Amino acid sequence: MPLTLPADRAPTEPILAARGITKRFPGVLALDHVDFEVQAGDVHAVLGQNGAGKTTLMNILFGLVQPDEGALYLRGQRVHFRSPHDAIAQGIGMVHQTRRLVAAHTVLENIVLGHPRVRGFLNLRGARREVETLCNRYGFTVDLGARVWQLSEGERQWVEILKALYGGAKILILDEPTSVLTPPEVKTLLAGLQALVRDRGVTVLLVTHKLPVVMAASHRVTVFRSGSVVARLRTGEATEEILVQHMIGREVAFRTADRSAEAGRPLLHVEQVSAFNDRGLLALRDLSFSLRAGEVLGVAGVTGNGQEELAQVLAGLRPVTSGKVRFADRDVTHLSPLERWRMGVGYIPAERIEVASIAAFSLVENTALNYHFDPAFTPRGLLDDAGLDQLTRRILSAYNVKAPHQYARARHLSGGNLQRLILGRVLSRRPRLLIAHLPTQGLDVEATAFVRAKLLDARAEGAAVLLISEDLDEILSLSDWVAPIYEGRFVAVLLREQADSETVGAMMAGLQKEAGAR
Amino acid sequence: MRLGRYELTLEPRPAVSAVYTVLTAVVAILLALALSSFLFLSADASLLGAYRAVFSYAFFNPRGILATVQRAIYLLFCTYAFLVPLRAGLWNIGLPGQVFAGALAAFAVPFVLRAQEQTLTIPPGLVILLMVAAAAAAGAMLGGFAGLLRARLQVNEILVTMMLNSILFWLVAYMIKEGGPFMGATAEGEGFTLPAPLTAPLLRGVPFTAALALGAAVLLDLLFAKTALGYRIRAFGENPAAARYGGISPVALSLLVFLLGGAFAGLAGYHAFTAVPGVYKIPGNYGFYGDLAFYGIISALIARGSAVGAVPIAVLFAGLSLGARFAQGALHLPFGVDYALLGLLMMTFIASHALYQFRLAWRRVPSEVLQPAPTELPEG
Repeated sequence: MPLTLPADRAPTEPILAARGITKRFPGVLALDHVDFEVQAGDVHAVLGQNGAGKTTLMNILFGLVQPDEGALYLRGQRVHFRSPHDAIAQGIGMVHQTRRLVAAHTVLENIVLGHPRVRGFLNLRGARREVETLCNRYGFTVDLGARVWQLSEGERQWVEILKALYGGAKILILDEPTSVLTPPEVKTLLAGLQALVRDRGVTVLLVTHKLPVVMAASHRVTVFRSGSVVARLRTGEATEEILVQHMIGREVAFRTADRSAEAGRPLLHVEQVSAFNDRGLLALRDLSFSLRAGEVLGVAGVTGNGQEELAQVLAGLRPVTSGKVRFADRDVTHLSPLERWRMGVGYIPAERIEVASIAAFSLVENTALNYHFDPAFTPRGLLDDAGLDQLTRRILSAYNVKAPHQYARARHLSGGNLQRLILGRVLSRRPRLLIAHLPTQGLDVEATAFVRAKLLDARAEGAAVLLISEDLDEILSLSDWVAPIYEGRFVAVLLREQADSETVGAMMAGLQKEAGAR
Repeated sequence: MRLGRYELTLEPRPAVSAVYTVLTAVVAILLALALSSFLFLSADASLLGAYRAVFSYAFFNPRGILATVQRAIYLLFCTYAFLVPLRAGLWNIGLPGQVFAGALAAFAVPFVLRAQEQTLTIPPGLVILLMVAAAAAAGAMLGGFAGLLRARLQVNEILVTMMLNSILFWLVAYMIKEGGPFMGATAEGEGFTLPAPLTAPLLRGVPFTAALALGAAVLLDLLFAKTALGYRIRAFGENPAAARYGGISPVALSLLVFLLGGAFAGLAGYHAFTAVPGVYKIPGNYGFYGDLAFYGIISALIARGSAVGAVPIAVLFAGLSLGARFAQGALHLPFGVDYALLGLLMMTFIASHALYQFRLAWRRVPSEVLQPAPTELPEG
């Protein structure tokens, strides 16, 4: 339920404002003359898709990133943050998406770490008193003596909030605070933030791409789309539909699967496969399915239900504990990733930067990541520089990768351009089985449409495509078969015609379990 | 840092030209020499005389040049031993141990053939070849052990190689001291002397290992720049997860780079103890060579992973350490002046790295920051 603003609150002078902010990164315009303001005592939601520019703006407000143009105003006065130190000194605190705590230290030690008054000597007893007062004031219950590694993710987030408040923060920036929390933790967080705002006059900036969070916890909302502010609304006057429209922009014509294509022969059989995740827990449980050439199987699910492990098992990057994988009439269960690449498995991992590319390498060298074993590109063990150069230039032009030249470093590409390069590189191998994990995550609308079209092209050319996505619309528009995954199992494998978003959504949430595996 | 209306900041340098790279190195050397003048203050000669003594011995005296070349070869092999695993993101701190393993293996060949007691029936050339191969293989085995532990069991390679250094140090002590199998004829804590025909052949006083060292520099740089294997090593060094995704086997690669690195260190051991005229045995102060081996780490780091780039650095390190050692004796300089000079060079090189990647910039501080004054908000 949206919060209501006190009736007498006319738009006053904003406590924090950004005017005409422009920020360019090599090849991208991250922010384009953005005006942004926050009223004191609000929970102000900053909404937008990945890559819309919201995190960049927050980093500018916190002094982590310097704008190319524009200025910041705090309580009406022009300010210039050269580093987060300046921002903290002015009462701005930020809680990042990933935790930045020392796991082996206690909660208290983490809270006082880096505080301006802590120079040389630690007065832990005095600090403890102060932090305890703070806790009582805000109604937090956290054991100050506990080690951070013992805490849950939600508690750790509170420690960071507390740390920011102890540092004197009056304006609190939270970047995607709910992304790693369980639903009860989200509820606690949002309630706590509202108490902070209501009772203590703290101003909260809540960066998110989740509509329910915006609707439940914010007073106002600013919507970003591809580097610009597209809407400023009071949450009470907004609906989820309106926000979605602003977020996505115009309707984009997405190509959908053309179902007249004849499916080919069975190419991939997965039989009763189980596998552990990195924490040693069973992430895949007796999962079985098969996939034919020229078909797309869409695996729909909430992240963390075994999707990543499934992709890795198929790519040969994760051992199975039991079960079998057969590909092209061959038992590939124990084959290495290299042998699978050679057999025609192509894998587009979800982690573009961490796994699918090498930041310090040139684009040509990144192309070589899928070609260094290919005899055509490694005559007598030497890399065929000219061939790779040509191939890379072909990929750059065919996949609209915006890059200064093919010897630019991968780290200078934006997420969308990097994904186009990775997609082009993998598809240029003409894989017989394509595993695409979150292929459009964080991409803008055009890039998303482009990637989807390319996946359908691969299917039309006879590839079997395993599409793993959280985006139900994407799954439904591209797939021949839809498999909702829940806790390491396919709840069902449905023909696209039988799959509607309600059924699949319910299955993804684990609500409905039916044996329908084919 | 802020001074008045200006502030001094450290900014990343955008692109750096090759000329600039060389220039920073030259400045670093000059700075180290300038700082070392403090070391020469107590010299029996003028400051200029001290510098002249260092340089003339290292680079102009016929005996000194040969010593410089010998030491540079040794340092170069040690550099490669560190550099190859480094390109794969792994740290080979086991240079001394691998050097010792190489030396022991090299001497084991004549020992097994009883070459030090009787005349040989096999041609000495073949024995020398066997010694070289044994030294490289022993170094490789020791390195490979650490590589295997790293690849299979994720045991930290730095700890393993460091501990192996200690083990090999004492193994050498056991082998050459009184009663040890490699004990020399005089039993003064030295190993046995290599029979003259088995010493490495010299050309104008320079052993054939020089050709090996220089050839390896070119081949290594070609390996990394041009071959698929070199690409895999670099990819693994930059991003192991991406390398694995791309089908590169971490186990095989970790093992391979440590085998190769260890082999180079083994060759360094062969060179130091069987190819340098006047040595031809494992001397009692063999630990000195172990310490010297660590300069391979520094020269690999300064050369930014380029084997050819490491050649001048190794020559410089070798020459200055020998020259300073000579000057120490000739001019009654304080003890350890050679190591002090190497240390200074190391520090200025590392400091130059910071200036290579960053630059100091003066910026005018925007006046509105200096005098925060309430202003009318522009209409947004």
